Amino acid sequence: MNYFKTITDGIFKGNPTFVLLLGMCPTLATTSSALNGLGMGVSTMFVLICSNAFISLLKNLIPDGVRIPCYIVVIASFVTILQMVMQAYLPELYRTLGIFIPLIVVNCIILGRAEAFAAKNNVLASLCDGLGTGLGFTLALTLLGLIRELLGKGTFFGAEVLPSTGNMLLFVLAPGAFITLGLFIAAVNSFKNKKA
Amino acid sequence: MKKLESNRLNMAVVLTAIAVAAAGLLGWVNGFTQEPIAQKSAQTVSDGIKSVIIGDRDIEFNVAPAQERNGFVFHKVTDAAGRTLGTAVESTDPNGFGGNLKIMVGFDTEGEILGYKVLEHNETPGLGAQADEWFRQSGKTGRASGSKLSDLIFGVPVSTGNHNIIGMNPAEDVMSVSGDGGQIDAITASTITSRAFLRAVNAAFKELFGYTAADAVSGASY
Amino acid sequence: MEYLLIFISAIFVNNIVLSQFLGICPFLGVSKKISTAAGMGIAVTFVLVISVLVTYALQMWVLNPLGLEYLQTILFILVIAGLVQMLETILKKVSPSLYQALGIFLPLITTNCCILGVSILVANGTYNAQGLEPSLLSGVFYALATAIGFAVALIVFAGIREQLDTVRIPKPMQGMSIALVTAGLLAMAFMGFSGVDHGIAQALGH
Repeated sequence: MNYFKTITDGIFKGNPTFVLLLGMCPTLATTSSALNGLGMGVSTMFVLICSNAFISLLKNLIPDGVRIPCYIVVIASFVTILQMVMQAYLPELYRTLGIFIPLIVVNCIILGRAEAFAAKNNVLASLCDGLGTGLGFTLALTLLGLIRELLGKGTFFGAEVLPSTGNMLLFVLAPGAFITLGLFIAAVNSFKNKKA
Repeated sequence: MKKLESNRLNMAVVLTAIAVAAAGLLGWVNGFTQEPIAQKSAQTVSDGIKSVIIGDRDIEFNVAPAQERNGFVFHKVTDAAGRTLGTAVESTDPNGFGGNLKIMVGFDTEGEILGYKVLEHNETPGLGAQADEWFRQSGKTGRASGSKLSDLIFGVPVSTGNHNIIGMNPAEDVMSVSGDGGQIDAITASTITSRAFLRAVNAAFKELFGYTAADAVSGASY
Repeated sequence: MEYLLIFISAIFVNNIVLSQFLGICPFLGVSKKISTAAGMGIAVTFVLVISVLVTYALQMWVLNPLGLEYLQTILFILVIAGLVQMLETILKKVSPSLYQALGIFLPLITTNCCILGVSILVANGTYNAQGLEPSLLSGVFYALATAIGFAVALIVFAGIREQLDTVRIPKPMQGMSIALVTAGLLAMAFMGFSGVDHGIAQALGH
């Protein structure tokens, strides 16, 4: 098992957003600015790493019949811990991301990695997988947020870089989320087609 | 180690054990985050009260215990000698862009607006959130209303873009956006947010003093 | 009157999918045909209303009195998963024909974030109750309206996608890409409703 490859696979070949098309709700909802995208990405990565490691640790103790409920309990616990810690120490970010923090529980990326990877591999490999997939998700969200923020508000991580007369507000609004992601996926596809 | 079999006993025991362990873990984490969370939220309110009533002034003040009435929360602020400095009101409008818009606005004893703070919004981050700053700045060049076609044709003087509500008094000034016959320019491209914001200010004032100037004009239409 | 406003606001103005971004996965996943979209819409309506009822009761009479608010996320998701399972079993026994129609959607619903999302919003009282005090009645009403909004968006979107099948799309844009851009245009159309809720409130003399 090549740990380094497990990590890079999660970022590029198996990128959860652009390639696997998973976890669309937070991807669309929280990328109105680069900082929000980054915050959501890191939050999800935390849960993903912890749940992957734990599920891999417990994989032989969990009978197949109750596998999914057990995974959900493990994931929900880490989400709740994240919720409490964020409320205590990062209340501003918690307020901005709002309902999408508890909704990390139903993010299909996390349950998907638990089922497809952590339940079959050892702890260290599962950790790497969580880290790689989490990084891939964070990268995608930050990138989308960066583009939407730049086109919509003319700012880069909150700092003004473009004159406000050229702002296309549409991009920070709901339709802009769908359109930006759609075009991004088209770009990734055409890149893949060229390589193949 | 061999994987546990999926018989009824094993499944029940494992699921229960994991659930109990999870609940225990959460209880433990809750134990030491509870206090910072309570502190943070109390601090948000007290910071808000200070910023909407006291602002940058360096004076001693006391806040009376909060009073709730008809969905509004009132915090009366007095100075060290016991004279009333003003009241901070928490007010919510349900029709912001994407749901509730909750603000805190400070009035002095005459009803003049001392300051405001946006406590909660469901606006597009970075768009409706502009309300944080917009209503305390006087506009510079009047970008929003000065670029109207009618202004160009009829030579109407370009508005200087008035959207500073600090120092206004809802009893004397009609506090609605200029498009609705008021005196305040809406946030560029966020008319809905601006309307909700001003409705929340007016409603807070009305609950505190009983009437507003907007009542006389539009017949209490909010 | 407020109930009418809750309805209009949740279906058109603040549509759960197109402006709140909840339930995107089924919105993109089961919207290729109008018939399946309608089935999914009905299944979601069913499950959402029941789970809001149950989770609200749990929050009010179990979590809040015991001071266990922090167990909300974990309890709600388990309850929803259990409910979906139960519904599946009951439906199979009581009405095999309905089960035939909705059965395949039920397992997908557990991870539909609009169920958990709306349950949390209602239990916390942070949904848009149009000035009413958050209560069980207005919460269930909100849930019903939200689910109808979800179904409307899903069915309209499926209608557009059926049309898309007949046109030639550039290769890199086939599949998810064109679907997302289409959803963006649909979201733009729904933005035209913004402010309508307040306008109606005013016209009715509120």
